[in-house]
Amino acid sequence: MSEQQQAFIQMISNRLGRPMPTEKPPHPFKGAPDFWKSYELDLEQRIELFRDNWAKAGGHSHRLSTMAEVKQFIVDHAQSLKARQILQQNQPELLALRLKEQLPTCQVTTWSPGNRDELISQAASADIGIALVDQAVAHTGSIVVTSSGNTGRSVSLLPTVFIAIIPVERLKTRLGETLATFDGRPRKQFPAGIHFISGPSRSADIENDLTIGVHGPGVVFALLIG
Amino acid sequence: MSTSKGVSVTERAKVALNDEFLRNAVKYTTEKLRDGKRQASSEQGNWEEWRERGRQIRLHTISHLDYYLNQFIENAKANGVQVHFAATAAEAASITLGIAQKRQARTVVKSKSMVSEEVHINETLEKEGMESIETDLGEYIIQLAHEMPSHIIIPAIHKNREQIAELLSKEAGETLPPDTTILAGFVRKKLREKFLEADIGMTGCNFAIAESGSIVLFENEGNARMVSTVPKTQITLMGMERIIPSWDDLEVMATLLPRSATGQKLTVYMSGISGPRREADSDGPEEMHIIIVDNGRSLQLGDPDFQELLNCIRCGACLNACPVYRQIGGHSYGGPYSGPIGAVLKPALQKNVAEWDDIANASSLCGACYEACPVKIPLHDMLVYLRNRKVKEGHKAAEENLGMKGYAYIMANPKRLRRVLRLGRVGQKLLLTDNVIKAKIGPLKGWNQYRHTPGLPAQSFREQWHSLDQELQQTRREMDETIKARLEKERTQRGKGGSHS
Ligand code: SF4
Repeated sequence: MSEQQQAFIQMISNRLGRPMPTEKPPHPFKGAPDFWKSYELDLEQRIELFRDNWAKAGGHSHRLSTMAEVKQFIVDHAQSLKARQILQQNQPELLALRLKEQLPTCQVTTWSPGNRDELISQAASADIGIALVDQAVAHTGSIVVTSSGNTGRSVSLLPTVFIAIIPVERLKTRLGETLATFDGRPRKQFPAGIHFISGPSRSADIENDLTIGVHGPGVVFALLIG
Repeated sequence: MSTSKGVSVTERAKVALNDEFLRNAVKYTTEKLRDGKRQASSEQGNWEEWRERGRQIRLHTISHLDYYLNQFIENAKANGVQVHFAATAAEAASITLGIAQKRQARTVVKSKSMVSEEVHINETLEKEGMESIETDLGEYIIQLAHEMPSHIIIPAIHKNREQIAELLSKEAGETLPPDTTILAGFVRKKLREKFLEADIGMTGCNFAIAESGSIVLFENEGNARMVSTVPKTQITLMGMERIIPSWDDLEVMATLLPRSATGQKLTVYMSGISGPRREADSDGPEEMHIIIVDNGRSLQLGDPDFQELLNCIRCGACLNACPVYRQIGGHSYGGPYSGPIGAVLKPALQKNVAEWDDIANASSLCGACYEACPVKIPLHDMLVYLRNRKVKEGHKAAEENLGMKGYAYIMANPKRLRRVLRLGRVGQKLLLTDNVIKAKIGPLKGWNQYRHTPGLPAQSFREQWHSLDQELQQTRREMDETIKARLEKERTQRGKGGSHS
């Protein structure tokens, strides 16, 4: 502990009028109230609620059955949107779609470790970013993505369009179910960036007029699979 | 930075009076936010239980702040963060400057943060020849105009589309049409370049999680994500009281904060950042600094009347609920924080009761701020405590105590207040300030935004109040009995000094 840190903490203890507790203080009111923890929706209800929230926030969602349908969806949309650059996370499920072959006129880039400058500039000029999400939350209409060598933060942030693929079994009812997975996770497995995304980037700064896509993606697709 | 310097209140009011657009926009926003909160909290259900839980978590954390802050620091350091300590705003500014100079920074991109406004970071960096760019759309517009934000949620609310188009056209070097989509599109492109060229990204911190050493940011535009993803160095300014123990506890804060601020179920982005990028990561900062700022906060610790101030999650709900704020706007509060929370925080942070003025006091006697507050901070009580301390220190004449009763009566009812304010010249003046309302409101900028405007001098308000009071002699009576009883009950029930009730 640095001297400064010690002095700062000591000052707080002094103000509180006792020495710093050496053991973890009992915290009986941790997390959501009990009634909430038993709130659970069945799968179809979760899907419906998620899609409803996502739509209200200005996002688009589709229910698809297989990854083959996902492939078709992406190809169709990339063509109709005239996408020239696509950036995808380095995830086996995405690589299996073989988008490069499906979209020969498109430059398809895959995220990779240790390639900062090139990948960030690719992301900044990408039309579409694609990611398989870690988790999703029905109650708030959110998806959760995390950073790693194979999954960049930029993929869900810099492209104009973002496509989030959600295997339905990853869709939870409550926010707390996803947050709980981070409590107690060992540091080595703890991602530097954890991002909850609940719709397109938005602002109401010009005459209270809601604008979409100010900094982040303005068009967001949630594809629920299964 | 102040454009109003040297301009009299009357002149400011005159300008504002002609600005019909502004008047409507402010009214529209405040009401929309308030209604949104009402709807979102009733939709969530069991709102009272959530509030109580939020209060308990904040009480618990603050009463063990030494333990949890220390835990946060240790974990952040283990994550690779360089942690700094600033006792004052000036110290925070010089630490920031030191990091920027060491990195030989030319461009700094910022997402909005209330602490950074306490610290006046833009001025500090610009003095040393560095470019410091606000990246929030509204803040960017205001920065181009060399003006102050006029509203916290919509800082450029006093600018209409045409004026914004003119400003941005100058920046673009071509004429842009007054079309929101096109204007926002230009800013997107322009700031995209800045994000990419910036050496340093600066953020605030909505919550800091002790158990993992993470900071959590709430926002809608994505600019806070940008500044914490693209630049190689990240500096986060964090108030020392932002701590919560665990990710579990974040569920409660994430339930209360966006709903209370703008009525959203969750902001578009909620990001947890736990240290600089991992070795294999290709984006995110290579170097991350967290500056823990005191700047008067620790003075509340151990003070039974004010410790709960540190529970504040900066949602702005108390502003939207306050009849006085809605009538007279944020002008009169002076300082980065306005509305009921600003009225208490400003003198409390400086432990200077002389700073406290009547208009600020008046804002909370009805208890609406307490009702709105998602963590149940008894602002109305604190205003009474402040007042008592001031009286004790002889800052206040006894006769003024009497006046406050009548005032409480008017303030308890917005309609009544409007009626009274319409009565005379005095009232008209007060209403006019509503047109340049400047407030801290929601998560768009909300809890990490603010405005700073010269307040009306307390003296002028006291004069005004005196004549207003004359007109009320007939109707004067005490605060509504039921409200008073409720407040009294709350007061006796409330645990002091951060204990659990
Ligand atoms: S004091 Fe005001 S800003 Fe702070 S949490 Fe309560 S309502 Fe929100």
